[in-house]
Amino acid sequence: MTIPVKKKPVKGPVVSPAGSDPHVLLRVISKFLIPLIALFAFYVQFHGEYGPGGGFQAGVILAVSVILYALIFGLNEAKRAFPPWLVRVGMTLGVLLYGGTGVVAWLMGGEFLNYSVLFPDPIDGQHYGIIAIEVGVLTTVTSVMIAFFYAFGSRQPQIEDGEW
Amino acid sequence: MILAAEISPAIPTILLDVCLLSLLVVTAFAIVRMRSLFAIVMLQGVYSLVAAAWFVTLDAVDVAFTEAAVGAGVSTVLMLSAMLLADRKSTPVPKGRQWGALAVVLIAGAAMLFAVPDLPAYGSATSPANAYVGTDYLAKTAKEVDIPNVVTAVLSSYRGYDTFGEVVVIFAAGLGVLLLLGLNGNAGRYQAEVRGRKLSETSAPTGTAERDGTASAELSTREVEVAKTQSGPPSVTELEP
Amino acid sequence: MSSWFISHGAAFIVILPLLMAVITALLPAVRRLAWFTALIVAVLVALVAFIVLQTQIDVGAFIYRMGGWEPPHGISLAIDAVNAPIALLIAAMAVFTLIYAEPAVDSEVQRKKRAPFYAAFLLAVAGLIGMVVTGDAFNVFVFLEVSSISTYTLVAMGANRDRRALSAAFNYLILGSIGATFFVIGIGFLYAETGTLNMADMQGILANLDGGSRAAQVGFGFVLVGLGLKLAMFPLHTWLPGAYAYSPTVVTAFLASTATKAALYLLYRFMFTVFDPSFDYVAVTLTYVVTGLAVIGMIFASLQALFQTDARRTLAYSSVAQVGYMLLGIGLISTLGLVGSYLHLINHAVVKGGLFLSLGAMWYRFGITRISDMAGLAKTMPITTAAFTVLAFSLIGVPFTAGFVSKVALAEAALERGWYWAVAVIMIASILALLYMGRMMMVAYFSPPPASAMGEDGRVVRREAPLLMLLPMVGLAVTSVLIGVRGNVYLAEVSENAARVLLPGGGL
Repeated sequence: MTIPVKKKPVKGPVVSPAGSDPHVLLRVISKFLIPLIALFAFYVQFHGEYGPGGGFQAGVILAVSVILYALIFGLNEAKRAFPPWLVRVGMTLGVLLYGGTGVVAWLMGGEFLNYSVLFPDPIDGQHYGIIAIEVGVLTTVTSVMIAFFYAFGSRQPQIEDGEW
Repeated sequence: MILAAEISPAIPTILLDVCLLSLLVVTAFAIVRMRSLFAIVMLQGVYSLVAAAWFVTLDAVDVAFTEAAVGAGVSTVLMLSAMLLADRKSTPVPKGRQWGALAVVLIAGAAMLFAVPDLPAYGSATSPANAYVGTDYLAKTAKEVDIPNVVTAVLSSYRGYDTFGEVVVIFAAGLGVLLLLGLNGNAGRYQAEVRGRKLSETSAPTGTAERDGTASAELSTREVEVAKTQSGPPSVTELEP
Repeated sequence: MSSWFISHGAAFIVILPLLMAVITALLPAVRRLAWFTALIVAVLVALVAFIVLQTQIDVGAFIYRMGGWEPPHGISLAIDAVNAPIALLIAAMAVFTLIYAEPAVDSEVQRKKRAPFYAAFLLAVAGLIGMVVTGDAFNVFVFLEVSSISTYTLVAMGANRDRRALSAAFNYLILGSIGATFFVIGIGFLYAETGTLNMADMQGILANLDGGSRAAQVGFGFVLVGLGLKLAMFPLHTWLPGAYAYSPTVVTAFLASTATKAALYLLYRFMFTVFDPSFDYVAVTLTYVVTGLAVIGMIFASLQALFQTDARRTLAYSSVAQVGYMLLGIGLISTLGLVGSYLHLINHAVVKGGLFLSLGAMWYRFGITRISDMAGLAKTMPITTAAFTVLAFSLIGVPFTAGFVSKVALAEAALERGWYWAVAVIMIASILALLYMGRMMMVAYFSPPPASAMGEDGRVVRREAPLLMLLPMVGLAVTSVLIGVRGNVYLAEVSENAARVLLPGGGL
């Protein structure tokens, strides 16, 4: 644990003897868990109007499901599932979705982010406006959290078992 | 929100609060005293989890949820992945340099304690924060936004501009990581050019590496130390001498 | 269409750069595309900021209701005579620095990172304008963070030139975050005291409470320290020299001319609008603490500037000293003092921005950052050196330049209050400015150029900066002279209006 990183020789992928994968339990369990975590994220997202939750928390939870995948199956596998270009586009799209809702309100003749003008019935406008911006929050938060992990994780070619 | 208010017990939760707060203090001291960064990161997760529990007793479930998901969850993992690029132990700060920080903390803490007698009682319904805009939101949300969770109505509609700003803050942080590290870990190899030539090739007065020797006198020792530790990660290509 | 800008312009100047920043981040690395986008956005923002300023002059102070909600329940942008000119100033400086950015960023930032770089720049612009135009105390914090986080990144991008940019950015990050934390703790106390986040509302409630209880006083202290860190008030300025010296040239120029100014505007807002100098604790703090630190900062930072070997560090310490002038104007608590402070804020933005731009051009051509390397620049880069000289005179306070107007205004204000010693301090700091700026100009004019600058035939080869760099530099130099010659016509009126809004009672 105390060895400075720079002195550590860069090794190839860990090759374990046949049939003795030290992480087999983790791999099996997380295969069950990851979809559930993602599902819970969407529950938190769309239940935010009724109970605690919303785009921010949901985004973090969704990002955790990808990060967990990366931790267990390796960064390269995760990058195949959720490629870096998607991360960059997602960061932008989320803010655009949020800001775009405001701009649409502008075009409909209201103030920026005035959801009431989006629909004939102001209450409807508020509901759909909030749903739209919460999806924007979700997209940006998820992408940025994954971006952090990719950026830090990619600096080290291989995460050794001893590192944790 | 509403649910939590309905089931909040009649007996004071003061004992629970005292327990949780003292746990927070103990964890904070442990974090300060620790040297192993791994343990510090873990303890920070513990701190966030305890804080989340405390927020629940304050009936701030939305905040508690965020603290648990962000503080205890994802930021622990992110700190661990950031730790891959750093040393595993923190170098002790010399005693001489700790006095300033201690003074700042003591003064700031004393200032806050000074204000305590004039703050409204805990949970008071007549405190300005509860009685003025807060009460209005409860009444207005049902009429104007019509969703059950008032916190969501305030965050996304009444103060939606703030939330927009916060999303942009997160974007800015992501952009910063993108610029400085890159998503594939290949940033930081570039060198600025003077009229089309690499900086390190230019003649006498301009080379950065050469100037470091003379200029370090004007740097504080701390800056030099920081500069040294930052040359750590192996994937960062160093400046050519 | 223009009527739409009149009613929505206040929001437009924040939202446009924010959304365009996000789009710019994704632009492909096609030559100049990102730069051109950023420049167009900045020009549009400056135009609309001008419309907003005109609207404010025509109809007086007005608010913009974000999301259509009435304050204090919703967030409102509040435009008045104080912040409309500063928003225009920030947008205009963004235009100047972005024109200059094309060649500079070309040499300092790697090709595929230019689009995100300009995105971060636009975010910084949007954040600064956002925190200036808002009328909501917490919203200030949000946009403070938008501008700060993008600024930390921009400073760290200087690592392509000099690795020390990384430690400078880290220093700035830590101290800036501490400042933001203090600020938000202060807002928390104010919320506990007043129950509202709207600044106008806070003002009314605090006035009714006659300054409020201890909670308000502690909130005041935290806000002051937080903003003091952001605006580099004397003992809290340690992040500034490193951040200015090692960040990319464009970033230094933009930061030096706008970031501390936006924080200073917030200090005006909180000291005079939210709080009121008629509260005892505010008057005492301003008169003794802020004035004291301002005076010490003016002298001490000027002395430090005198002993630097690096030209950009010299100018950075000079910035700390100039902030001292502006704080002195606040500490006087008089209309005249605020006029001087406000004038100096605008002048210093123009002057310091221009000075850093010309230093950047010298780096671009010769890789120069040390003062001793500036030898012979008057011959090798005559136009850049001429612009540098004019701006340096303005910084010193030579008659017929911008600096003279504001320093005289400050001295008059000090005399009105009977603070003769303050006039003496202004004089001493100006003499020190003459020394540290004179040192650079002596080298540039009277030392012979190095042998490497000579051509085959032994004559000096001119290597002037490219046109895109010269334009903004010369533009700012001319502006500073125009302010000096005709400044009392327009700018003085702007400053007086601002001072009257801030101190309707005329001060002590």
